[in-house]
Amino acid sequence: MTDAAGRSAVPRSDSPKATSPSAKLARFDLVERLVHWSMAIMMLTLIFTGASLYFPALAVRVGHRGLIENIHVITGLCLLGPVALALAGPWRKQLLMDLRRFDRWRPSDFDWFRSRSRRKGLARDKFNGGQKIEADFLGAAMVATLVTGVIMRFAPSSWITWATGATLVHEALFFGIVAAVLAHIAFALSKPEQLVSMFSGRISRAWARVHAAAWLSEVEASEIEASGVEASRTDPVPPV
Amino acid sequence: MAGKSEQPPGSPDPSAKPPVHVGRRTMLGVLGLTGIGIVAGAKIDNALGSSLSAVSKAVGVPLPGGNQFQFYTITGSFPVIPADTYELTVDGMVREPLRLSLAELRSIKRTRLVHRFQCVTGWYVPDVPWEGVLLSDVLDRAGVMPEATALRFFSADGAYTESLTLSQAHLPDVLVADKMLDANVTSDHGGPVRLYVAPMYGYKSIKWLNRIEVTNKVVPGYWEDNGYPANAWIGGVAQ
Repeated sequence: MTDAAGRSAVPRSDSPKATSPSAKLARFDLVERLVHWSMAIMMLTLIFTGASLYFPALAVRVGHRGLIENIHVITGLCLLGPVALALAGPWRKQLLMDLRRFDRWRPSDFDWFRSRSRRKGLARDKFNGGQKIEADFLGAAMVATLVTGVIMRFAPSSWITWATGATLVHEALFFGIVAAVLAHIAFALSKPEQLVSMFSGRISRAWARVHAAAWLSEVEASEIEASGVEASRTDPVPPV
Repeated sequence: MAGKSEQPPGSPDPSAKPPVHVGRRTMLGVLGLTGIGIVAGAKIDNALGSSLSAVSKAVGVPLPGGNQFQFYTITGSFPVIPADTYELTVDGMVREPLRLSLAELRSIKRTRLVHRFQCVTGWYVPDVPWEGVLLSDVLDRAGVMPEATALRFFSADGAYTESLTLSQAHLPDVLVADKMLDANVTSDHGGPVRLYVAPMYGYKSIKWLNRIEVTNKVVPGYWEDNGYPANAWIGGVAQ
């Protein structure tokens, strides 16, 4: 993109393709959606196979211990693959920005945990405090289950004391992960517009105005910045 | 909080407090607890195991550290073998091949020991009562030929196999067990007859044992083909 003055506009992954303010906002890019759904499938596989290895009542029904164990171990080793791939190339930009949002909490993220009425007026980030804590916990839990799982499966048999400890941690994390994933699915099913945006990548401005006002103003600021170059031929850039 | 401000000093924006790196802290916290858990978990397990297993039994859900048996089968089902038709075959390099009914097996001198069942992946059940006959007594009855060096074990499930060297088989805590937990070995636990190799990891204690073949070569069993060691001493060395 080059404007009349010959300056090239920096392409922005989070600015909408259409410049009309009524257009939907780009919430998740293709890379993020691929990462999300590939990890979702692997996570559900891990939970199902893990439960079949762990709960006697299920183990007795499912059987095929060797096969289930191999599926669980291979899936577990691959779980973080999509994130690693997504962060390995120039297509990482938006994912990296959203991972930063998960990491960096603003006061409004902490305040989100207040009661429903007291958090009403908060100008929220792209993700709210609840979404952030879930992402932070799941991210840490995925790394920790990988470490403990590798010890359980691949450590030399002389490390049995550590394997016992790793098993304890792995099992405890299993319960935490299941709780987080169930909550995630329940919230997604109760909020169709957000659920659809994980397929389409886009979400309405009206939603953002209510649920992610701080993010909306960021996006709008960057839109003004991007379109301001064009607009400056006739109008001065409006004060922000 | 050592986060540096991203706003230039004297910024007029009142909300310009530096963000708190909750994600990073969560990661470090979880990984730190994981490290402590790996190193100290076995001790915690020992200390809390009995109370946790009581809670676990009460709620009917296995809890982490609850020291409960997990039930393994490598086929699609748990073979159910009626006690009255059960037979243990001992063949291969023996002077007199045997086919022992459960009653005949039980007529051999009985041994009881209380010992933990330790899985190689880390879980264990402490102080399990085991009862049966010494494997060495069964072998003596069949008469092992002098050139024999190893044993192959077969399971009624048609898939599970195991191995021991002859000297391992002669250890005084290797049982052909028909009782565990002070009852007949259940189908889920590998009954009516299973092996119990006390000094080795649980996978050596083959379930639904129905045939022992005396050979002159260690043939790796099912779990050994899946990457676990044949000499499965608990802790890595013979005790």
